[in-house]
Amino acid sequence: MDYLSSNKILIVDLEASQISEDELDDELVGQKIGGVGITSSLYGAYKDRDPIILGAGLLTGTLFPASALGVISAKSPRTGGLTHSPFTLKAGMELKYTGFDYVVIVGKSKKPVFLWLHDGVADIQEASEFWGADVWNTTDAIRKSMGDDLIQTLVIGPAGERGSDLAQICVNYWASGDCWGFGKVFGEKNLKAVALRGMGLLEISDPEGFVDQCFEVLETIKGGAFAGKSGVEDILTAMGEKDAKEWIAPFVHRHSACYNTPYPTNTFVYLNENPKTLAEPTEQEPGFLINDVGALLTLKRAGLSAESACRVLKACAKYGIDPCAVAELSARSGQKDPDKIEQSFVDLKGTVSAPEGGKFSSWAPMQPLFADFGLSDESAYGDWWVRRQALAYLFGIHPIFANMAPELSEELMIEMFNKGTGLDLSQETLDQAIADVCI
Amino acid sequence: MFVSNAPLSGLPAQLSGYGQMAGIGFKNADMNFYHSYASINQNLAWGVNLHYGEDEASILPRDPIPLRIPRIGVYTGSGTSHSWLWFVELFDRMLFHDLVFLTEDMVREGVLQDLDVFVISGGDTIRIAEGLGCEGAGELESFIRGGGLYIGSCAGAYLPLKSSKQYLDRFNFVDIKIANLSKTLPEVKRLHSKASTAYGCDFVYHPVREDVRLRTTGKKPFTSVESLCAPLYGGPSMVTGRDSDVLAYYQGFTEKTIFLVDESFAEKTLVGKVAAARTAMGDGHLYLFGPHFEHPHFPMANHLVATAIFWDMKRERINRKSSDGEIILEGAAKKKLVLDIKREISNARIVSVGLEAIPVKWIIGCKTYEPEKIRVFLEAIWKRINRLERSGGFRLQKGADEQLVALACQVRQILREMKSRIDDRLDTQDLAGDLFSSLRRLTMLFLQVYFDSYACNLESGSEIL
Amino acid sequence: MRIDVDALTCIGCMACEMACGYHRDDAFALLSSCIVVYRTREKKDYFGVVVKEEESLKIARPEGLEIKRIGVTEESSDSGQKKEADASAKPMLLREPCDLCSGMKYGPMCVKICPVNAISLVE
Repeated sequence: MDYLSSNKILIVDLEASQISEDELDDELVGQKIGGVGITSSLYGAYKDRDPIILGAGLLTGTLFPASALGVISAKSPRTGGLTHSPFTLKAGMELKYTGFDYVVIVGKSKKPVFLWLHDGVADIQEASEFWGADVWNTTDAIRKSMGDDLIQTLVIGPAGERGSDLAQICVNYWASGDCWGFGKVFGEKNLKAVALRGMGLLEISDPEGFVDQCFEVLETIKGGAFAGKSGVEDILTAMGEKDAKEWIAPFVHRHSACYNTPYPTNTFVYLNENPKTLAEPTEQEPGFLINDVGALLTLKRAGLSAESACRVLKACAKYGIDPCAVAELSARSGQKDPDKIEQSFVDLKGTVSAPEGGKFSSWAPMQPLFADFGLSDESAYGDWWVRRQALAYLFGIHPIFANMAPELSEELMIEMFNKGTGLDLSQETLDQAIADVCI
Repeated sequence: MFVSNAPLSGLPAQLSGYGQMAGIGFKNADMNFYHSYASINQNLAWGVNLHYGEDEASILPRDPIPLRIPRIGVYTGSGTSHSWLWFVELFDRMLFHDLVFLTEDMVREGVLQDLDVFVISGGDTIRIAEGLGCEGAGELESFIRGGGLYIGSCAGAYLPLKSSKQYLDRFNFVDIKIANLSKTLPEVKRLHSKASTAYGCDFVYHPVREDVRLRTTGKKPFTSVESLCAPLYGGPSMVTGRDSDVLAYYQGFTEKTIFLVDESFAEKTLVGKVAAARTAMGDGHLYLFGPHFEHPHFPMANHLVATAIFWDMKRERINRKSSDGEIILEGAAKKKLVLDIKREISNARIVSVGLEAIPVKWIIGCKTYEPEKIRVFLEAIWKRINRLERSGGFRLQKGADEQLVALACQVRQILREMKSRIDDRLDTQDLAGDLFSSLRRLTMLFLQVYFDSYACNLESGSEIL
Repeated sequence: MRIDVDALTCIGCMACEMACGYHRDDAFALLSSCIVVYRTREKKDYFGVVVKEEESLKIARPEGLEIKRIGVTEESSDSGQKKEADASAKPMLLREPCDLCSGMKYGPMCVKICPVNAISLVE
């Protein structure tokens, strides 16, 4: 696979401490496209070894708007079935540039390790000194030991180490959208983290055609329904929480976007610092990046103050536990004290709601946001959402942004695929690929 | 103009799909220069008899003498900057693969006598002279008088010019004067730190930087080009004596020229002065270039460097000293070595990219070093690792594999230590000297293995990847 | 003409960095880009944009613009050693200064790709 790809599938056997590589061939891409299409296929090939697979979408890391998505696929400890989680911010893009399009991790390491992927080199490194550390300390320690602050990490905290079904794989210091308990899968493999850093290069089959189209798409999107809106507050408002902005406004510092995503889906709140501060604060940990809209919404509806809700989310990210699950279980118990909620993490158990279709994370709200997708009514949301998420997870599009931009149509994706790869994708093949990942 | 009619297909990897070259807008005609010399060197490696000006060698002026592969020494010792890597790039593109990288110690030990050509690029001329010392100067003179070809670019051009200054007075090989020398400095309009260099009680001043226009004189071997551009970064403008041939004059400026002084003063200083000269000394010759003819973005100038090499390289065949310590590394051992090097260079590169965002500088000698300079050396290695991986066996000195990995580890360790100290707001000046010294040695050693291995594969007729 | 960045409007998406890398390398890559999102203070949510120009680094910080002259001799170094003028200093050819995407039909690509119009081309 010459284009939009490093042409490598990495196989990591943690038990044997061995690393091998396969080529990513055109035929597989032509049939399965990318992202979950290929991670699902790889899962099938390595099923007996209980794999967890990281992958990038076909368009991830390009100039195509919202091409930020990385995907984690594995058997969920919560459902027992093959499921997929997103990871965005800059980590999805970074995976693409490490030189590996897909990473299959099998087996269990004898001792705690982390996987260091960099520029086509994969190293299994000792992680005993990090085992037991929370997510933030682990990311700090990895960045310091490797000597680079731009290393992206997929990390587990104590929740994953203890084998909690609610454990989440976090991205750097923040939540990831993993609602399937993949943190437990990492923990069971004695895999503390995957660290990513790459300075690779992606060739394009038709560079001018591809980039021209990217600009055209961006121009149509820019004036779209989300124009003038930003952050989690406006998403909450679109979901019916009319007072969301006022509720969180006192703590909002800035909004930021995942890689190349036109809408900034992340809101940073300052809890230990004046949010109006623009200069670099002296406080090392002044606040938290909120990127899980669902968790925030549940906490808000449970009656927590904005500050309390943010402190809970921060505690979840440090502990490496799914904030959505925590929010739902806390709401059920009626607990509103952030300190008590945090204390409950150690033994927290319970059944939490699973998203429609049971395949894609509920991190992306299950409704159109701001834009009109021509759906008749709310009853159509379910099927629409599954297909939309499948499209996003195949092509590497930010799953929340995919629900904001009807301009990112299936016809457009097909066209971008063909211009980018030089292959010939048809609607029929796309339909089949979507059907395959939704089974 | 002599341009090879050979098709562009079948180019070695250094030329085809070369993103950087595509990015800087090389035309097909430019690519043909590189292809022509690559073709000459490839054929010579395969034992094909070629003569100047005929068949594949039609790009060169006619001469009945048969061509042979030149053995070229590249100076990388004290005082050099990073521009010797530009010569490396040129030689790589043109498949000049019989290269030797020399420090001042190696020059003093007489390694020059095994060479046909010796090149010195840019840097600090006085430090270069100091490093080579009397012994090095003697070796260089003996080399040239014995038929060798010396090519000096920028600092390398200043080195053999007549001078009474300390260290430089050991050279004085050619009766050429520096034209941009003055007791007082003109008014400098921009880039003050780049406008002059102290030269004893005088100043060597630099009226412009970047691209300048040159006019050739039609003297051999520069007969195929009438005018060209080349970049000037502190190199000399010269006034020649009777013993030297003027190959090119400074003719004017381009839209990319940066004027450090008033434009009319720059014109008065440069235009009409000598930019490139050729001087005979004993049986050998010196080529002195004020601008960097070896800069990788200037194919026409590169073409003239290659022409000079073939035209005036030492004529007598030197038998290569057989090296008992040479080994060929293949199979699993080779694969492991590549992976080990790749790992360490990648780790080092990652840290160095991060350092570029930090306002840190180091002073070594009197020169300022910035983080970007670290990556210049690492990139020279990185971009060749994959090519080396795909080639046949590695030819290297016994122990060079371990030395390579050890040096790469050392560089990586120093860099991580540096980053850690910077994070803790501690000084890193003491690490800088070790770092750049290790980087230079690592790059030299890697490139020696790279070129030796490539030469070995060329000779054996292995596929040029 | 030059590039101006409004750091407060910027959302740190790195589209500009990738677009510039595309201009340099005719492929998707970040290493040669002359516009870089400064994002190493992740826990502090402190980010800005750095543009490398011919003679200066323009740093668009949230609190305001800072311009650093490249290669200018400072008062004294940390080590106290004197630094001479460096006329022989040569370009690194790694991150070349902004050329406003000369030769590209799009004009400055960072301006065109920014989804929130934080980057503009000014006189």
